[in-house]
Amino acid sequence: MKSFRKYLSKYLASFMGLVLLLLAINVIAFGWTFYGVVTKDYGDFSPQNMLDTTAAAASLDGISEEFSAQLRRSHIWAVYLDMAGNAAWGIDMPEEIPEHFTIQDVALFAKGYLADYPVFIRNTADGMLILGYPKGSYMKLSSNYFSVCAIETMPFFVMGIFAADFAILFLAYFLSKRKILKNTEPIITSIEELGTGKPTALSVQGELSGVADSVNRAAYLLNRQNQARANWISGVSHDIRTPLSMIMGYSKLIADEDSLNVEVRKKAEIISRQSIKIRELVQDLNLVSQLEYEMQPVHKAPIRIASLVRTCAADLLNGGLPDQYSIDIEISADAEFTTFEGDARLISRAMNNLVQNSIRHNPDGCDIMLSLNCTEDSVILCVADNGIGMSAEKLRDLRERPHYTESTDDRLDLRHGLGHILVRQIVKAHNGTMRIESEDQKGFQVILIFPKATETRGVIRF
Amino acid sequence: MDHTYLHSKKILLVDDEPELLKMLRTFLTEEGFENIVSAGTVKGGLDMARAESPDLAILDVMLPDGDGFSLMRRIRTFSEMPIIFLTAKDEAADKLAGLGLGADDYVAKPFLPQELLLRIYAVMRRCYKEENGLVILDGCTVDFSRAEVHKDGEVLSLTAKEHIFLETLARNEGKIVTVDALCEALWGDNPFGYENSLNAHVRRIREKIETDPSKPVSLITVKGLGYKLNTRKYGHEIERKEVTL
Repeated sequence: MKSFRKYLSKYLASFMGLVLLLLAINVIAFGWTFYGVVTKDYGDFSPQNMLDTTAAAASLDGISEEFSAQLRRSHIWAVYLDMAGNAAWGIDMPEEIPEHFTIQDVALFAKGYLADYPVFIRNTADGMLILGYPKGSYMKLSSNYFSVCAIETMPFFVMGIFAADFAILFLAYFLSKRKILKNTEPIITSIEELGTGKPTALSVQGELSGVADSVNRAAYLLNRQNQARANWISGVSHDIRTPLSMIMGYSKLIADEDSLNVEVRKKAEIISRQSIKIRELVQDLNLVSQLEYEMQPVHKAPIRIASLVRTCAADLLNGGLPDQYSIDIEISADAEFTTFEGDARLISRAMNNLVQNSIRHNPDGCDIMLSLNCTEDSVILCVADNGIGMSAEKLRDLRERPHYTESTDDRLDLRHGLGHILVRQIVKAHNGTMRIESEDQKGFQVILIFPKATETRGVIRF
Repeated sequence: MDHTYLHSKKILLVDDEPELLKMLRTFLTEEGFENIVSAGTVKGGLDMARAESPDLAILDVMLPDGDGFSLMRRIRTFSEMPIIFLTAKDEAADKLAGLGLGADDYVAKPFLPQELLLRIYAVMRRCYKEENGLVILDGCTVDFSRAEVHKDGEVLSLTAKEHIFLETLARNEGKIVTVDALCEALWGDNPFGYENSLNAHVRRIREKIETDPSKPVSLITVKGLGYKLNTRKYGHEIERKEVTL
């Protein structure tokens, strides 16, 4: 969800940035073209230039032929007034322009039009030059007055508009982000949950309901596949049991048959031993898959763990432990009467698997120690051996990739078996933690830590 | 504990797999059991149970015309014979269902012949113990039916607790029985804090059964775990057998 939030913020923010950039580009483009209209288009023939050059060349006596030709080419008429308001001379003056101007006339056309001609005037030393441009060529603002106060507040006004625009944009960004998140949050959360393999049921109305349906369908398919896989494993492990019983039974009968050749009996003994390995694998496989897809109900009840440890050790010894192995137990005084909520069968299975691992990895024998301690809120169960241990590299492998279904290393399962995976899952089902410590030639130990109050602590932790 | 006296008991086997029935029959016969009857269906099993009144039934959970649990329910209407279930499932739910109905034990397939035999003997000894109450130890004989120990021509009587204690160990001869299991057998479901009483019982029992109570050879302490009883005739033999496996 976090990454999606960030993604959304990023894109909405860049959208907002684009709007601001567009605004800036518009302002610049407007300024640029307007400047061009004023300066470039008119250039040398602009009223300003014409007034400057013509006024410099003109006097009461008239103007040179060169200048009057230039004015004519530009379709501009001119008239020169003396101090009394009489036209001293004129060039191409239209008929409606009078020969004499009163003060009132001058005041009227000075800022605007003379008989609809836009006119521009320039005072000289002995009179006044009036240039008349063709009708409709220029528009003059004859009433452009602003209070100084208004002009002074102009920058603030512009800034205010920008600020308001910005605020509106931000509000739009904020609201749309919130709306999108509100609509997509359940979908994103469900998709994230899909990744963890948990079943999810999503209910979303409106435009996104189609997406929600797809997510639900994917979740359903995933769940059904998991179910099918678990059922398949359970079915295979079920069907294998009766034939395996017969292999185990007959091979053992042959191995124990005194009348037979020793070589034959040894071979039967090997078949028997290997079939026992298959049995362990089948049992582990089924339980692993049941726990993996959460199809195995965990029957939790208060268990006295010290008693369980003793029973487990006694069962292992009673089962006939080869001479090169020994099992000892060490139970601290305060752990003796400790109980915690757990599934006794699963915890026993975990202990048993860890001991079997020690036996399997140390064919030359080792001393195995089961120890039990407890703290204020947890039970610490440790299965340790003093055998060949594990190199740092392999230990890292085991810690990081304990699940051979997640590993591309084909041989990982051969080295570790299903034993460790099962232990890990049992610990997980009890909301506990698992630590593996080992050094080459310096033994191997697995420490399982279970919280005493599973329920409440479990809620906080997960 | 001598268990040859059990070999005359009649055993009923019910499984839908004829090959498996044949194998069970083979190794039960080799073990010394003389009376074995078998069936492949719920109906056949029920008829056999009525006609032959066996002393023990070993039932498969999955049968072609029903399940082993319903077969047990129907057998229970006319007989209290001990029943052991065989099943190809190892789910806890099945186990609870089986034992909840009053099954005596439960063996998951696949199993080794010895594993099934151990269960058969354990269940039979529990149900038919009164027929043979003698256990021969190194230096004495324990007669459970009379709660007496015969040592050097002397007869020492056992208290109720001592009787339970020794009997629990004798049922698991040569095997370690944890202090927890012993306390539970002696004091019931909530056996916390009885370790000292247990030690006192052990001391008194050793005085009765051991030739030299300070150097016990029959009632052995397994440090940190519990106790085991070595019987002269079978204890050592079983231990030797396990090592060669």
